[in-house]
Amino acid sequence: MVGVGGSSPLVSTISLNTFFICYSYLCMIKVYKAKSIITMNPSLPRTEAVAVRDGLILETGSLDSMKPWLENNDYEIDKQFRDSIIVPGLIDPHLHPSMAAVLLPTFFITAMEWRFPWGDTPATTSPEDYDKRLKEALTNPTHKDIFITWGHHDLWHGPMSRSRLNKIESNKPIVVWNRSFHELCMNDGALDYLGITEEDVKGASQIDFERGRFFELGLGYAIQKLNPYILDPDKFKEGLLKLKEVVHYGGQTTIADMAVGLFDFDNELNTQFALYENDDNPFRVELIAHATALIQHAGGSNIKAEKLISELPERNTHRLNFRKRVKLFTDGAFFAQVAQLMEPGYIDGHEGEWLSTPEQFEEVARIYWNQGYAIHVHVTGDLGLELAIDTLEKLQFEKPRFNHGFTLEHFGLSNPEQVHRLSKLGANVSANAYYVHELSDLYANHTVGFERASSMSRIGSCFREGVTTSLHSDFTMAPAQPLMSMWVAVNRINEKGVLMSPEERISPQQGMEAITINAARILGLDHEIGSIRAGKKADFTVLAQDPLEVDPMMIKDIKIEATLFEGKVFPISNR
Amino acid sequence: MIPLTIISGYLGSGKTTLINQLLKEAKKPIGVLVNDFGELNIDEELINNEDSLTLSLSNGCVCCKLNDDLGISLEQMKELNVEAVVIEASGVAIPIKIANYGLSWPGFRLLGILSLVKGKSLKHLLSDKFVSKTVKAQITQADRVLLNRFEQEEKDALSELTEDYLTEEEVGSYWNLLFKEMAASSRPEITEDNHHSIFQSFVLETEKLINIERLESYLNNNTSIERAKGWVRDEQGKTWLLQMTRNDCNFSISNYETATRMVLVHTKDLDIKSLEPVYA
Repeated sequence: MVGVGGSSPLVSTISLNTFFICYSYLCMIKVYKAKSIITMNPSLPRTEAVAVRDGLILETGSLDSMKPWLENNDYEIDKQFRDSIIVPGLIDPHLHPSMAAVLLPTFFITAMEWRFPWGDTPATTSPEDYDKRLKEALTNPTHKDIFITWGHHDLWHGPMSRSRLNKIESNKPIVVWNRSFHELCMNDGALDYLGITEEDVKGASQIDFERGRFFELGLGYAIQKLNPYILDPDKFKEGLLKLKEVVHYGGQTTIADMAVGLFDFDNELNTQFALYENDDNPFRVELIAHATALIQHAGGSNIKAEKLISELPERNTHRLNFRKRVKLFTDGAFFAQVAQLMEPGYIDGHEGEWLSTPEQFEEVARIYWNQGYAIHVHVTGDLGLELAIDTLEKLQFEKPRFNHGFTLEHFGLSNPEQVHRLSKLGANVSANAYYVHELSDLYANHTVGFERASSMSRIGSCFREGVTTSLHSDFTMAPAQPLMSMWVAVNRINEKGVLMSPEERISPQQGMEAITINAARILGLDHEIGSIRAGKKADFTVLAQDPLEVDPMMIKDIKIEATLFEGKVFPISNR
Repeated sequence: MIPLTIISGYLGSGKTTLINQLLKEAKKPIGVLVNDFGELNIDEELINNEDSLTLSLSNGCVCCKLNDDLGISLEQMKELNVEAVVIEASGVAIPIKIANYGLSWPGFRLLGILSLVKGKSLKHLLSDKFVSKTVKAQITQADRVLLNRFEQEEKDALSELTEDYLTEEEVGSYWNLLFKEMAASSRPEITEDNHHSIFQSFVLETEKLINIERLESYLNNNTSIERAKGWVRDEQGKTWLLQMTRNDCNFSISNYETATRMVLVHTKDLDIKSLEPVYA
């Protein structure tokens, strides 16, 4: 076995001096032998060894087949993965580092299990266990000023109130943030600490001072008081560093920040450059600008915003890159039940929300379409999707484009006819499969009824219609674990253990495509990553079990042993 | 408690025109919150504490942004001496959701929702695939509906949705409509108060080149101008960043290439034509 570690000179070199020093290493070929390699290259789907030099794949095949490469070069055969399965480095083409950075420093007490590199968050499913967990957590000295916990869910954990919290702890400030993000609860200590008095909030209908609860718009009031703590630069850095561990732990070698500018464009960007652009970082970050955020930077002018976005690649570094891509939005959030629905709408008759008028959406989309951008559109409800498809149809009529990368992101509710249309128009789909797991039961019983709820994230249809389809986490909406996304898409088992629309399941092979080569296509990087073949970057994820052979219900539990980023090994311990 | 009124209505229904009219009429400082992508976000630094204040907001949900622009702006309003606040909701806003701020945000008191309807587009919007429900909600959730640019036929169509509407001709004063007539009798009335000065702002955007010296002397000598900020392009094609307050007028060279684009905050008596001599 050959030692591995953090100071491999294989990583790209900058100065001429370093180049000469590293010369022999650059020429050194490293051959990784595995139990099996799933290449995701349809012409050569399975191999057992892969030869790497200077961060690139030279050849994959058998030790025999790669002899011509090895004969006249220095090489080393590394057998540390001989009992493991190597797959292409996993890709999450849509998450939000900034949201993650805010949430990760909080303490998770959740109804679902969340796995983290620093320890798993077990499923907490009763009010008693919730209080017990909270009590234990409060003895943890790492939380200084104000203790914030995330994940409380009334259904599992019982109603939260100031008095319930006070019984556990009344002096030390505690904030309990609901899983839906739409409500929080404070104890006496927190109200005191934040200086919120009964007089301040008198008459506010969505603040229940007596019970310490702030919901919907009342939440806005509370968040504004909390912002100095949750958006504190040091906390933000701490959160981004935690995300780095999370991304690695999930086996990802490429992620996309699918809306740079969520809070503060320059700050988000500069912090990511500072923390992620270094040789110890095991992944690259594709950066896609939030068009609306840039419109505000550009003083309200869409044309100027496009110009700003077109200049962003000037800031690119080795790992962090803007390309000709942009993020737009049609309708509201799926978790918040403000997606725009076609008839017959929501059971309770409430309305979804548009994030801009359809006219404004079309105007902005046209600007980017005509300039040749790949447009990523956040769509959650079927009417939100319809607007994106109608707009794409208009734009195709005005200025036809091929392989244009117009991508429908999230893809909560849809109908089969829409999948057919979007396929004909050449659109891609990047779906959040986790909706099926966490929301389909709620949506079936309370929101839209079983028929529509069971077919949310209609991924099987996308594959049947030949749509390039990937899976994403939208972390922190779902765990940043591509194998978890794959598990949901392959099994469609919801939180209650019920199978939802077996017809929309995909095969493990398709699931694997969705988190590797298809995700690479959706980011326009399929020439460099997403499969294991000669000439691509040596990004691999090393698994303890074969995701195509294992019982599909076990996919989410497959141990991830290491990742390789551009040929450098990053072991994953602590599992 | 600061009284709060919501003005809602689809794109092109005349919300901004109404706000401008209101600003002209207003006899006391009011705050205006515009919940939409404006052509220019007016820099809040431009406005001093006694002014009517216009802030631009963006759409989106607090859960996705961890931020609540509207809430933050309302907090800012509290610190200023505005005596009433108008929220110009975005064209796709469901008014009742915005109105919740008036019910729920500490320190504010909702007077009501006024929705604007442009008669000419009513029929088309009510059958639109994407926004018919939104437009219907804007009409039915309103306390009053103001119909403009209409034919008899459209009046009939609107009557089917609400009885509580009036037409432009029936409006005596927007101030009274928004802050007196909309208020329920149990709510305390806002008292008139004349001593605050009212400022307005406008955006000067021009391809014409500007003589910097003459602009500087114009700004320094014109007592109607309170603040100015933006970019100015001179005869040599150089761009200058302009920042002007009552006490100080400062030009600095900017690398940003743009035609002249600046915001002027001024009192009512400014005659825009008096700017003519600053052009090169």
